[in-house]
Amino acid sequence: MKKHFFNGNNDSGKYGKTYSKLFRNFTGLTIVCSLIPLLLVGWGINIHYTKFAKSRMINSIQSRVEHHGEIIKLFLEEHSSKLKLLAFTQSKAYLREPAHLQHIFEMMNREHNVITDIGVIDENGRHIAYIGPYDLMDKNYFQTFWFAEAMEKGIYISDMFMGFRKEPHFIIAVTRCEEGQKWILRATVNTQAFRSLVENVKIGKTGEVYLINKDGIFQTSPRFSGNIMETAPFPTGPYHDDVTVNLFKGDNPDASFSNQIMAETWLPNPQWKLVVKQDYSEAFADVNHANFATLIFLHLSAISILIVAVFITKYMISVIKKRDIQAENLNQQLMQAGKLASIGELAAGVAHEINNPLAIILTERQILIDLFGVSKTDDAEFSEQFKASMDQIDVQALRCKTITHNLLRFSRRTQSMIETIDLNQFIQEVIELMEREAKTSGIKFIADLDTSLPPILSDPSQLQQVFLNLINNAIHAHKEKSYGTIRITTRIDETKKGVQITFADTGSGISQKNIEKIFDPFFTTKPVGQGTGLGLSICYTIIKQLGGDIAVKSKINEGTGFTLCLPFDLPAELKESMMAS
Amino acid sequence: MIGSRILLVDDEIIFANNMSKLLTSRGYRVITANNGESAIRELEEKDFDVVVLDLKMPGMDGITTLKEIKKLGLFTETLILTGHGSVDTALEAIKIGAYDYLAKPCEINELVEKIEGAWSKKDDGEKKDMQEKIQRVVESPADAFKLFKKKK
Ligand SMILES: Nc1ncnc2c1ncn2[C@@H]1O[C@H](COP(=O)(O)OP(=O)(O)O)[C@@H](O)[C@H]1O
Ligand SMILES: [Mg+2]
Repeated sequence: MKKHFFNGNNDSGKYGKTYSKLFRNFTGLTIVCSLIPLLLVGWGINIHYTKFAKSRMINSIQSRVEHHGEIIKLFLEEHSSKLKLLAFTQSKAYLREPAHLQHIFEMMNREHNVITDIGVIDENGRHIAYIGPYDLMDKNYFQTFWFAEAMEKGIYISDMFMGFRKEPHFIIAVTRCEEGQKWILRATVNTQAFRSLVENVKIGKTGEVYLINKDGIFQTSPRFSGNIMETAPFPTGPYHDDVTVNLFKGDNPDASFSNQIMAETWLPNPQWKLVVKQDYSEAFADVNHANFATLIFLHLSAISILIVAVFITKYMISVIKKRDIQAENLNQQLMQAGKLASIGELAAGVAHEINNPLAIILTERQILIDLFGVSKTDDAEFSEQFKASMDQIDVQALRCKTITHNLLRFSRRTQSMIETIDLNQFIQEVIELMEREAKTSGIKFIADLDTSLPPILSDPSQLQQVFLNLINNAIHAHKEKSYGTIRITTRIDETKKGVQITFADTGSGISQKNIEKIFDPFFTTKPVGQGTGLGLSICYTIIKQLGGDIAVKSKINEGTGFTLCLPFDLPAELKESMMAS
Repeated sequence: MIGSRILLVDDEIIFANNMSKLLTSRGYRVITANNGESAIRELEEKDFDVVVLDLKMPGMDGITTLKEIKKLGLFTETLILTGHGSVDTALEAIKIGAYDYLAKPCEINELVEKIEGAWSKKDDGEKKDMQEKIQRVVESPADAFKLFKKKK
């Protein structure tokens, strides 16, 4: 009967779709609520930081070029003012004396070797005095580009040029007008010292610093782009006052500057451009590195959140699934109880309706028997048959009566009430009810009943449920065996305060591991759809409520015994609550 | 007791008639009623020793009828006939003052036995009551007179 109610309803398949939808929703929600904000914030901070770091980088490169420009300017100014001082404090007559000039030359180079040579040139471009390593005394400079300029402007600093000595150098020339006659004091700056001032500035692996004039000719040797006095392969641009910083990304059509950062400033005199240039990737290597690390970290956290979300959701859904199955089982148990109650009601109605015609049949029979008694018939055969028929009517009517009375009793036990119960008789009735089902499994009932058992006060409907559950379990435990017995014993408790009922079967037994759990709700070893795991927990609850106790003993493969102890009388509080309701 | 007057109350007319026949042939004087109201009427008009009362009847049911009977204050004993399922109602009826109950369908002999039991209880009760009354007449004739008057 039980099996019939529970067939194949626990299949979680019909909820499969709901669960996968639930899974999608949960993970979706987690992603929307945690991943997206995380990524947005992460990316936002990253972009902001990159911008900040880049602008710092640009500022630093800008101040660097400013700083270097300043140094070079100072260098040039210092040398020009030295020469100016010299020219305006000494007369041409004094300076044209080689000994005097030699002395001055030595004095100037005393600390650092700053000038290579020095000479005095008259207004016609002729060298009138010269100290230096080259033999230049007889050179006439009238035709040179700088002579005219110097004569005109009073001071002149040249670009790098080869000149007579076939070596890149530049000169500073100061013109003085003495007694209406102009003369020039000219010095060649130590190119080595000057160039090292620029060329020795090393920036990273790809950085270079160089000077270039308006015509695009290198004034110092750049580290990579070319050599001094060579023409740069790219345009120089016009002179201007400010410091500029340009970023040349990879998509720049001018290949010479691709992926470079370039800061430049123009010196006022001579108009040279100081350029500080570095590969973009190197300049921003630190920023990019930090960026990369944070992005990796960000995405790793995002992935781990995703994984955790998926796992948590999976776990949650498995818990929900389990709960659903349990709820379903409970529901079925309730439904079964409900069904039983309505069957009970129906049975009671039917029994009542049948009792009346049955009563009439019996009275009719009695009337016939009475009449037969007073009538005189000689027909012996008729008499025989009449008596036999009347007996048979009685027997069959009694059979009907038993059936209706059983039905009524069954229906009465679907409602809770306190009653005096003759346990022995009660058990006999339960056995009768279950005998047919047990027989089909090859199981026999053995009733070992103590006839001295006094009636007890209890709730028959609840007891019936307990007994049926225990017997059902016992029958089920014989699944693997072709025959077996269920022995039901009643005894008076040793303490004489109640009765002891034992249900001992010869079934599969319960393993040591499981025996602690069998009274737990939803514990079952039966396949889904066959066991609800509620039977024994219900038994336990009922027996405890009735003031009794339930215990189990089992040996694997040999059998299981459940012992119930029930008090003669119900606990006072239960009685009160039953009375109240 | 042969000649006892019995009122048989049952809505199943055939059953009531059959029972009446059977009891009559066993020497009782039987009158049938098919519902509570006519049963009360009969009781008000005539004397009965035992009332056999079905619990489940349309209109006035057994319990209400029993209460009405009790209100009449007769010495008549009431025997309840019932389906097995309404044992609780039968027990309630006994609390109210029915003599006993019998489950339908029942053997005629069982019924006769119970009727006899009811009769003798009624007889006892009557005798005891008579004695009490005699006692009272001895002690206080005025009270006793009131008692007798109320009875009829
Ligand atoms: N008589 C028994 N013999 C062997 N095992 C039993 C017996 N009674 C109960 N069990 C074990 O206890 C478990 C729980 O039983 P129960 O609470 O009635 O739930 P269900 O019968 O639905 O599985 C069963 O699955 C079974 O493994
Ligand atoms: Mg079970």
